[in-house]
Amino acid sequence: MEKTYYPALDETVYRHTLTNGLPMAVIHRPGFTKKLMYFVTDYGSIHTSYAINGKAAQAPDGVAHFLEHKLFDMPGRDITAEFAALGASPNAFTGYDMTAYYVSCTENFPECLKLLLEFVSQPHFTAESVEKEQGIIGQEIAMNADNPDTRIFENLMTAMYRSHPVSHPILGTEDSISQITPEILYECHRAFYAPHNMYLCIMGDVDPVQAAAIAEATLPKGPFPQATPCRQWQEDMTCVQPSVTDTMEVAMPMFQLGFKCEPLGKGLAAVRQEYIGDLAAELLFGESSQLYLKLYEEGRIDSSFGGGLETIEGMCMLSASGDSDDPEGVKDAILDYAARVLETGISPEALLRMKRSAMGRRLLALDSFDSTCFRSCAYHFSDFDYFTFPQVYEAITEQDLLDFIMRTVTPSRCCLSVILPN
Amino acid sequence: MIEQIQLFPGIVLQCHRDSRFKHGSVSIQLVRPMDRREAALNALLPAVLLRGSRNYPDLRAITLRLDDLYGAHVGTTVRRVGDYQTTGLGCGFLEDRFALPGDRVLAPTLDFLRELLLEPDTEKGIFREDYVQSEKKNLISAIEAQRNDKRAYASDRLVSLMCPEDSYGVPRLGELDAVKAITPQSLWDHYQKILKESPIQLFYTGSLSTEQVAALLSPIFADLPRAFRPLPPQTDLLPSPHREEQEALDVTQGKLCMGFVTPITLRDPRFVAMQVLNMIFGGSMTNKLFMTIREEMSLCYDIGSGYYGSKGILTVSAGLDFDKYLVVRQQVMEQLELCVQGKITPQELEGAKQALICQLRATHDSPASIESYYGTAALSGLSMDPDSYLRQAAEITLEQVMEAAATVQLHSVFFLKGVS
Repeated sequence: MEKTYYPALDETVYRHTLTNGLPMAVIHRPGFTKKLMYFVTDYGSIHTSYAINGKAAQAPDGVAHFLEHKLFDMPGRDITAEFAALGASPNAFTGYDMTAYYVSCTENFPECLKLLLEFVSQPHFTAESVEKEQGIIGQEIAMNADNPDTRIFENLMTAMYRSHPVSHPILGTEDSISQITPEILYECHRAFYAPHNMYLCIMGDVDPVQAAAIAEATLPKGPFPQATPCRQWQEDMTCVQPSVTDTMEVAMPMFQLGFKCEPLGKGLAAVRQEYIGDLAAELLFGESSQLYLKLYEEGRIDSSFGGGLETIEGMCMLSASGDSDDPEGVKDAILDYAARVLETGISPEALLRMKRSAMGRRLLALDSFDSTCFRSCAYHFSDFDYFTFPQVYEAITEQDLLDFIMRTVTPSRCCLSVILPN
Repeated sequence: MIEQIQLFPGIVLQCHRDSRFKHGSVSIQLVRPMDRREAALNALLPAVLLRGSRNYPDLRAITLRLDDLYGAHVGTTVRRVGDYQTTGLGCGFLEDRFALPGDRVLAPTLDFLRELLLEPDTEKGIFREDYVQSEKKNLISAIEAQRNDKRAYASDRLVSLMCPEDSYGVPRLGELDAVKAITPQSLWDHYQKILKESPIQLFYTGSLSTEQVAALLSPIFADLPRAFRPLPPQTDLLPSPHREEQEALDVTQGKLCMGFVTPITLRDPRFVAMQVLNMIFGGSMTNKLFMTIREEMSLCYDIGSGYYGSKGILTVSAGLDFDKYLVVRQQVMEQLELCVQGKITPQELEGAKQALICQLRATHDSPASIESYYGTAALSGLSMDPDSYLRQAAEITLEQVMEAAATVQLHSVFFLKGVS
């Protein structure tokens, strides 16, 4: 068990790797009642192409999310009821590049941890249960179809990406999920739920040695198959089409704007690029920018407007979204303003202030268990220790931001997704 | 855990001293009656205050100031608490110990909050016309955007069916026509009036003692001209006739909302039993509605219930295929009947109690949940702290849950369907 203290954040983290290869961390929070545990896999909706034990395979779209639903089934047991009896609530989500199972509790921590590890590591699927789930997820797909935020993002991805699977919805489609069978689910579980592909992150006033012992005793020992998902996609920096427009039952026009960026990769260099992108977003159209003030005072954007860098494995974009009667005008204004920033440059004071604010907000967010566990997991898969974020900011320069803007904020990398009221 | 002191007549400070967090928070709430004549004014006011103050006259100046304060944030809070509407500002800030050596965050943040609240940027002695107009537009958009979330939209429609006369039927952000009618002068007059006469609730969470916080906050209000008028106490829901309505929109999935009434409010000794019933019926992870209607019968994607204790309203909301409307509706009634008859397993009862207890036990683990519990509890008439609440929850019996269920009556139904 390795203990690290981070004086700038006043955080203590214990880290350990189990004998089966699972890395784990305990973010120690003495004096707190709540305990939160995240058990995650470096596997999401985009990982449909893979090789297992040397054999190539292609799974239907939506299988990661389907698997997430079905892992809650255990033969002869009702997992939700068992958690409920412990006073805990389990939950899960599937993203484009990560699937997470998490439980929060205030008591019965050892039992809750054991149960979480059990249900995620012991798959059980039958033809009947898969068929029933197809109905439930079909309803979820229908519900999503009425969600304008999802639609606007999915339309944007389709218009921006040629080969990266981010252009496919996380849930899949009615058609793709109808192809899912118990065998496919078992194989994807074997391929992507092996310990070396996963991470366990626990936060709260818990004993890290006890937590590791529970995990050691509960999880399978192996051997585990060698699986390699496709994690490389050929994408140039142009978009399929410059814009996409749809209509829905919404109150006013909505837009999301994307500027394609080079994928980040992993490690410190990648996180540095991410923070540079975030600061550049703040500089260009954050609330402290002249452009934001101008657009807001002209009534072209409102308080729904916001943006930043969005990253998914193999995909990265600078994005801004909100409600506006004039999305094209907002896009042009951002492009014009970027050109002006490149001419005038950034003062060292302005950069310092932006860095102090961004770091302060990250520090503040450490009070949230959910955000901290989630970030620790996501950054773990990027080979980065999240608790070292202050050092990343320190090394960022004015020129870093200008280089990023010059490369990224150009008409050829830009795509606009709009939803108009019916 | 909570200390409460009155700084001036009608101005009460609640403090929760806690040094486990990296950030502290302060909120200043003016408490108003929830009333059609002023709900829109109360919703608009804090948004206009956040547009500019004497020394920070626009959004950018405000943001730059917050950036200097280590990314502190200030936001508007407009809440419904039973018959009251609260309006004001809240802020979160880094604890001083994380600032650069010698730097302070709390004191300058509070001074900034004071300026935002009491020294708005004005023209001709009242609010600036451009700021008022632009925030009216924002508020109108926010009200109209509620249509985008179909579940929330259907719930709002149900509530308007159930509460034609009651304050609960007044939309939290006010009505469109009322927003449109606001002028800089009318908003200014309202601002002066409510600063003068409203009860003001101050809430602090952080590492300082109550005395230290009182010393920092008192000067803000010391010179405020005041003529404090206490508010009338909270009331139960006004009765109204049963109503049913359907609406067709271009949607893929239908939304069914059923509204029930119960005489049990949070001012009733049976309140905790009613909470447990709601958990069993549609609130916990293993609730009857979800386990039966979604898991066993696959009739809908999501379903659940919510209990609004201030008024004794229980609502059920489900997303479903249009043709499942009748069967889901009938199933909801059947599941409620099972609760009335006590057909509740020991696991269901225990799970519901545990979920409630777990929620309450974690109240003190985040500044936001501390503020949201204590900031509304006293106002709404809830007299328990989380500890006594959870002790009561642990003692609830099956009979008490059955008794609570027997008081629940269907009142109104709203169904959002597709365009055929």
